[in-house]
Amino acid sequence: MKRRNFVKSLALASAGTPILLNEMKIQSIGKKLFDVAGFAEDRVLVIIRLNGGNDGINSVIPIDQYANMTIQRSNVMIPQASALGLTTEVGLHPKMGGMRNMYNDGKLGIIQNVGYPEQNRSHFRSMDIWSSGLIDNPPSTGWLGRQMDVDFPNYPDAYPNTQYPDPFAISMGYETSSTCQGLMANFSHAVNNPFDIYNLASSGVLDDGTYYGSHMDYLATLIDQANAFGAQINDAANAGSTLSTMYDAGNPLAVQLQYVAQMISGGLQSKVYVLNINGFDTHDSQVSAVDSTEGTHAELMKRLSDAIEAFQDDLMLLNLEHKVMGMTFSEFGRQIASNASLGTDHGDAAPLFLFGSCLDIDIMGSNPVIGNTVVNQAGIPMQYDFRDIYASILKDWFGVSSGEVQTLFEHSVTFYPLVTPCGVGINEEDLAKEGALIYPNPATSNATVRFTAGNEWVKIDIFDINSKHIAEVYDGTLSQGRHDIPMKLKGLPAGQYIVQIKKDSGIINEKLSKMK
Amino acid sequence: MPDQNPGNGVSLSMTPYTGPWTKVEAGHLLRRTMFGPTNQQMLDAVTNGMAATVTALLQIPAIAVPVAFHPDETIAAFGSSWVDSVYPTDPVAAQTVETARLMSLGGWAMDRINSEQLTIAEKMCLFWQNHFAANASLDSRATYDYHMLIRTHALGNFRQFVKDMTINPNMLLFLNGATNTLYSPNENYARELLELFTIGKGPQIGPGDYTNYKEEDVAAAAKIMTGFLVDGLRSDTVTDVTAVFTPILHDTSTKTLSSHFGGATVPDNGANEYADFIDIIFQQDEVANFICRKLYRYFVNYDLTANVESTVIAEMANTLIASNYEVLPVLQELLSSEHFYDISVRGALIKGPLDMLYSMLNGTESAPAFDLATDYEMQLNMYWLADTMGQAYASPPSVAGWPAYYQEPSFSKLWVNATHIKTRFDVSSWMSIYGGIPVNGNNWELDALTFLDNLSDPSVAATVIDDICDVFTPKDVDAVQKLILKAILTNSLPDFEWTLQYNDYLANLGNTAFSDPVKLRVQLVLARLFQMPEFHTI
Repeated sequence: MKRRNFVKSLALASAGTPILLNEMKIQSIGKKLFDVAGFAEDRVLVIIRLNGGNDGINSVIPIDQYANMTIQRSNVMIPQASALGLTTEVGLHPKMGGMRNMYNDGKLGIIQNVGYPEQNRSHFRSMDIWSSGLIDNPPSTGWLGRQMDVDFPNYPDAYPNTQYPDPFAISMGYETSSTCQGLMANFSHAVNNPFDIYNLASSGVLDDGTYYGSHMDYLATLIDQANAFGAQINDAANAGSTLSTMYDAGNPLAVQLQYVAQMISGGLQSKVYVLNINGFDTHDSQVSAVDSTEGTHAELMKRLSDAIEAFQDDLMLLNLEHKVMGMTFSEFGRQIASNASLGTDHGDAAPLFLFGSCLDIDIMGSNPVIGNTVVNQAGIPMQYDFRDIYASILKDWFGVSSGEVQTLFEHSVTFYPLVTPCGVGINEEDLAKEGALIYPNPATSNATVRFTAGNEWVKIDIFDINSKHIAEVYDGTLSQGRHDIPMKLKGLPAGQYIVQIKKDSGIINEKLSKMK
Repeated sequence: MPDQNPGNGVSLSMTPYTGPWTKVEAGHLLRRTMFGPTNQQMLDAVTNGMAATVTALLQIPAIAVPVAFHPDETIAAFGSSWVDSVYPTDPVAAQTVETARLMSLGGWAMDRINSEQLTIAEKMCLFWQNHFAANASLDSRATYDYHMLIRTHALGNFRQFVKDMTINPNMLLFLNGATNTLYSPNENYARELLELFTIGKGPQIGPGDYTNYKEEDVAAAAKIMTGFLVDGLRSDTVTDVTAVFTPILHDTSTKTLSSHFGGATVPDNGANEYADFIDIIFQQDEVANFICRKLYRYFVNYDLTANVESTVIAEMANTLIASNYEVLPVLQELLSSEHFYDISVRGALIKGPLDMLYSMLNGTESAPAFDLATDYEMQLNMYWLADTMGQAYASPPSVAGWPAYYQEPSFSKLWVNATHIKTRFDVSSWMSIYGGIPVNGNNWELDALTFLDNLSDPSVAATVIDDICDVFTPKDVDAVQKLILKAILTNSLPDFEWTLQYNDYLANLGNTAFSDPVKLRVQLVLARLFQMPEFHTI
């Protein structure tokens, strides 16, 4: 029957019947993923889906394989001179300057040849597999949704509540991500623009004592309740800020990542953000006929790389780098040999990117081996199982025990050290040195910012939430120790501001609320 | 409960309404009697006037039978009727066929509601479905017959309806009439006949005395109706399910009723004895009051104040009795009355799930038109969505029907809660902007372009918004809300830009480069409107 599929695709918050219960064999009761004490508490995972099947060979270029690549895919191949070398053997697509920079800064990780056994080359089926992390069982739950079901068994009925006021995950766009599909509902809240959730201006009609009025009032109350997540997201977006100037407003992925930064910095407690970029199904015109470094795929790589670089830059400026890591995935790579239409067809394994400042890898795995003869329909064999990547992230980034992680998957999980114990073990005093205190806050006409300096140059500025420079507070050298710098706020419109303290030793951003 | 007193300034008159007859009043009539009118139907109703529109509504059109569409239907050929087909001999195979037939019934029922015909038929069928609230039996042929019985009597004689329903095989199975015998009387049907179907249960005024009947009447009624069996269930040879009177199982004693029925006696009359008893029940005028209250709550307002009881209900009951329990004259009077058009009752109900779904679909003239099986599947999806939101057609939660129609004090508020409202939003967003219901590679989404083209003046943005609000909301939408909707339609451009865009589309019909942007704007307006509380009232 079609019911389940339809209801699932609708991602109804209240899919009425527990139709899938008997299909779920790998449930477990364990420690809460997002309830772990300490370091993992406020960590965020950003997932970017490369929809359509990304050509891994032209993304992460095996420089040592050029001789045979010429045999296999000369019409789409990136000229060796154009590849952006990371090592002598591995290069990036020439449009991926941003991610090359991140690699050089230790903020980009590449895992080679990620796939799964007996690769399915249907977009739909393979995306289901990647989203669910299930191969043998029906993909009725997402790999993240499954863990969230363990943690929050009464979702969505009992949520939001005071302990969990925010959605557990955000899907950027209009669709909820199937990675977050739980048994009864999708754990993600679809957000196209966090400043505009549902955008339900309240109706002019209030309860005027008529039957109609009483119902309007009743419905409006329900709508408010249904929109509780929307209001939280709205509030976070308004409270948050974004500081990077690298976002390109013409790059949809960059716009969405900027929204994500805005929400995270605004204090939204969502643990997962899923984004999507379409267009990777490059059967034809993957590259321009006159220049293989241009074309559809080049544009996609540029968008991806530029957007991630801007996002990482923003996280650094916002002092949030230690809280956020990212991952890309695509339903499959493409075949080794190109076709005659300047394109490539559905293949098997492909590289997967991780990004963030807490990575423990640079390049994991070896270049794919390109043979010297064209084998019809050959793809890149898998070296790493994507489920093990998921499992390792759950364990090291979210702190789920290996035993508990194992219960989420069908296969015997192998863990890889992908993430450092970033931010763990820093003592409170060190942390205090990296912070600042603004008092009073909210403030009316005057406020003071307190922080420590180490006999160094310090510049203090106030920005508005659109990163527009509002005022300079201080510019000079300060002695070792604690300092209290007064700020005059008279004349500033009421609203949220960022006080930025730039020191030789780093940048601190603190929020300031100005009242009338 | 609203603190309004309907006695103050509210017309309780049942004399024919003679006030303004505009889209507002016509829309009220059509929304209450149909599952969502179109703009054109409202305009036609204005042109034709109230009386002619009411008369036109009060007809029950003929309909097609449900047909086989599912591969599990192995007896009836694809596309042909299964309602007179046998079942496979093997019980497992028969169950598989039954599942296919149930799905056919579900899709068929929804398809009837998804109709643009000007008729009260489907709202009446749902009313009776809620009144004689039986679930499907294990033989879809009997379930189908039960529905057709409802349809046949939808506007007909209530007394005859009750008689026919009493020996309807589906009802005999549902309330154990089929196991009610001389040797083992079963009171289930007898009790509901009195309590829910005819005279109603009044306050308990003594031991076993419910004002209108007593426990002893229930016992007597059970004996009166003994002896009916159901034949042909899941039969591999018989093509119909029938009620069979079996004299040896009938209690031939003379039954005596309580003082509430004047101590009437019911002597043995074999297969017709149940009808004798129903005639006795119908001698009590409370039967008319009981059913008229239900009609009032369904079509007008849930709030039965003392004023309404003593005026509107009393007048309706008089009409029903005077017409020998014909239902049509009562509805004719009610739907033409001053009270029905009083501003106080407009928007007084919250839409049930079926009304919410199909007002959205019918209002935009959207119906699936793919292949037979796909269309059935799509309607079935609607069936299940309504189920998810609390209203599975032909499957009321209890023999009392859906609580939203009877449960004080909340009544229609019971249709929505914070989860249901979210589901309503999700479904309406899906149907309007996110691509519609996908089945077999086809998508059923709201037909925004046809809808737009059929509005009064699609090229004028403000008129488009006025029309859309007229179609989907019961009262005037706030001016600020209308401006917001118009800004969505015009993408916040000056109004003339919409006119240019629409005219460009008209000049380039068939060119999606022109039609898609127009379509999208209308879809966005609809999606927004469906998330406004106004849309969810009726």
